[in-house]
Amino acid sequence: MKKHTSAVWPLLCLLMAFTLLAGCAPVPAAPALPAATVPAAGPAEGSKIILRVGTGDSGEGLTPHQEIISRFEQANPDVLVQLEAVAGNDYYTRLLTQIAAKRPPDIIQIGDDAVPMFVEKGALLPLDDLIKGQDGLDTSIYLPGLAEPGKWNGVQYLLPKDYSPLGVYFNKKIFDQFKVEYPQDGWTWDDLLATAQALTQDTDGDGKTDIWGVQLPASWTSGFEYWVAASGGRLISEDGKQFAGYMDSPEMQTALKFYADLYNVHKVAPPPADLAMWGGGNTEFDQGKAAMRLFGRWPQAGYKTNPNIDLGVVGSPAGKERVSVLFWGGFGIAANSEHPEAAWRFLKFYAGEEGAAVWKDWALPAVKSVADSSGLSKDPIEGVWISELSHLAPRAYVSTPFWGQTADPALRKALETVLIDPTADVAVVLKAAAAEAQKALDEQMAQK
Amino acid sequence: MMSSRRREAITFYLTISPWMIGFLAFTLAPMAIALYLGFTRWDLFGAPKWVGLDNYMRMLADPLFAQSLKVTTIYTLVYVPLEMVGGISLALLVNQKVRGVGVFRTIFYLPSVLAGVAYVVLWMWIFNPQGGLLNTLLGAAGIQGPRWLIDPRWALPSLLLMTFWGWGRAMVLYLAGLQGVPPELYEAAAIDGAGVRAKFWRITVPMITPTILFALILSIISTFQTFTSAFVATNGGPLDATLFYVLYIYRQAFQYFRMGYASALAWVLFLIIMALTLVLFRSGQFWVHYEGERE
Repeated sequence: MKKHTSAVWPLLCLLMAFTLLAGCAPVPAAPALPAATVPAAGPAEGSKIILRVGTGDSGEGLTPHQEIISRFEQANPDVLVQLEAVAGNDYYTRLLTQIAAKRPPDIIQIGDDAVPMFVEKGALLPLDDLIKGQDGLDTSIYLPGLAEPGKWNGVQYLLPKDYSPLGVYFNKKIFDQFKVEYPQDGWTWDDLLATAQALTQDTDGDGKTDIWGVQLPASWTSGFEYWVAASGGRLISEDGKQFAGYMDSPEMQTALKFYADLYNVHKVAPPPADLAMWGGGNTEFDQGKAAMRLFGRWPQAGYKTNPNIDLGVVGSPAGKERVSVLFWGGFGIAANSEHPEAAWRFLKFYAGEEGAAVWKDWALPAVKSVADSSGLSKDPIEGVWISELSHLAPRAYVSTPFWGQTADPALRKALETVLIDPTADVAVVLKAAAAEAQKALDEQMAQK
Repeated sequence: MMSSRRREAITFYLTISPWMIGFLAFTLAPMAIALYLGFTRWDLFGAPKWVGLDNYMRMLADPLFAQSLKVTTIYTLVYVPLEMVGGISLALLVNQKVRGVGVFRTIFYLPSVLAGVAYVVLWMWIFNPQGGLLNTLLGAAGIQGPRWLIDPRWALPSLLLMTFWGWGRAMVLYLAGLQGVPPELYEAAAIDGAGVRAKFWRITVPMITPTILFALILSIISTFQTFTSAFVATNGGPLDATLFYVLYIYRQAFQYFRMGYASALAWVLFLIIMALTLVLFRSGQFWVHYEGERE
């Protein structure tokens, strides 16, 4: 036995190291992209103000940033801007760490759902004084509803970077093939169902659906708020403190029932391919096997060049209410930035007309005059997205800093339940979801 | 005499110092900090607030903690024996003295080299209930395939099914073990009239028990750390059917920013793995055969 132990100890140490790693470093960190820095500084650049800009964008999404930055630097030779890109899920973690270490980027990009959390942590500089100040900004330049997600408790903290409402894509090829009229703005849930039923086709007669009416985003929680608002409901009380009585309201039941029935009863929506991704992982619309798709503007560029698709876009159908919901990303200034003046100059440039003039070639511009002068407001496709902005419903996740850890998992579970089990009782499912979300919220607020 | 010993000692410590420094700075120190954080509430922001055993008490009442532990345990209980049998079988196959056996070794090992996410995404296509490879093949055979990753009953088995590609890693370990078995043992057994079966159970298996122990422990540690497949393919769903323990830690830490609770969870995982490892090691004296021990 003696020999045995002496041989085993080094091995045991090695295994301990493995187990230590198991307990402590469980998450494979996604490789951070190298910060894309701006072209090199000349010898005289030492005296320049250096502004750091944090973004969660990556790849091609960085090009408009870089374009705007180089234009800004030309107009402001005293400032050097460094773009710090951290892609994917790690962005907020990294940002929170930087904030905790009091070294955040001067300019911070944040999505609408995270605005309350970052503001509550005191990470962002209130912009109201700067907006009203001598070198101010007229926030009425924005298209309707685009300044609001940057506010918390009535104070403006961020300005819009990019955005998308929810709309319905349709493939004219399939509509023409089955001689169905294109959907028109002002259409209703009944029209949606009737159109989808007319287009759900078993073309080869094998008893299986080959063409689907409408591809839906499965258990994507932040997209589901459209259905809730369209049926006249809300996910959370206006003061941001109650899910009970809201997530289980009759309106909410109507919304969930209609949504689930499109999958389970009418069978006009292709079953979700997976429940991990926010769009449900389906590709039927891309393949020309679904006539319509309810989603945001993000995949549009690909659809325009997709040979399977002759693209049209129409506003979201009206339930009891005619609504759409907004997805939004904005830029703010770090509360402890050492260069608030230069940061404001950059922010104003970026989120103002100058920045919008670049953005319009990449995504929808936030500034109305740019949208109008570029002809995008009248464009048969882009104009639809822009006019959806007149129908925006309030967002639950801008009403509480705790959305992500309270209602989001509860709502996701409710959606998964009704999608997986067609016999599930919507009222019971929602009662449980509301109770779960409320319990989590109460706990969070008690800790605060 | 002393000086040469001392010189040897200095050389020893200098040589292992890179590892020691790395271990202290990047493993031991973070672990100690995580242990401390486990007794606090901390959202990455401001100072951690001491809450005593709150985080550990919370686990007892947390249904998702229980669920993640259950999922991880079931997965481990099924995966570890499968990998062992699969790995040994493959190793036996590629241990034959056949022309071109190197090619097969490479083929079987190759999937283990694939990066985690790419591998999982590939399998997601295979599992796609509409038009995925698996259901298309099953359909051709007249079988209506299940909905795999979207069905709470099938999601965990699907993730298990994906992993047989990883057997190559175990195969390499066992192959090394098999090649360490002295051929004269087989020759002697053959002279004594032992058949293939007897040779396998009486010689091969006892001789590779140290490898089995080592592979078993590695396998348990890595299955308890399963993350990528669930994170990418199912995000813990549907209905928490694939909520692995490490995925739950990730959620608490990096989605909800509950660093205190996440640290406590990580320590519980560490203790579980540590305990299992020790038990396995201890059990080794009853079934592991060390050739060097024979007098």
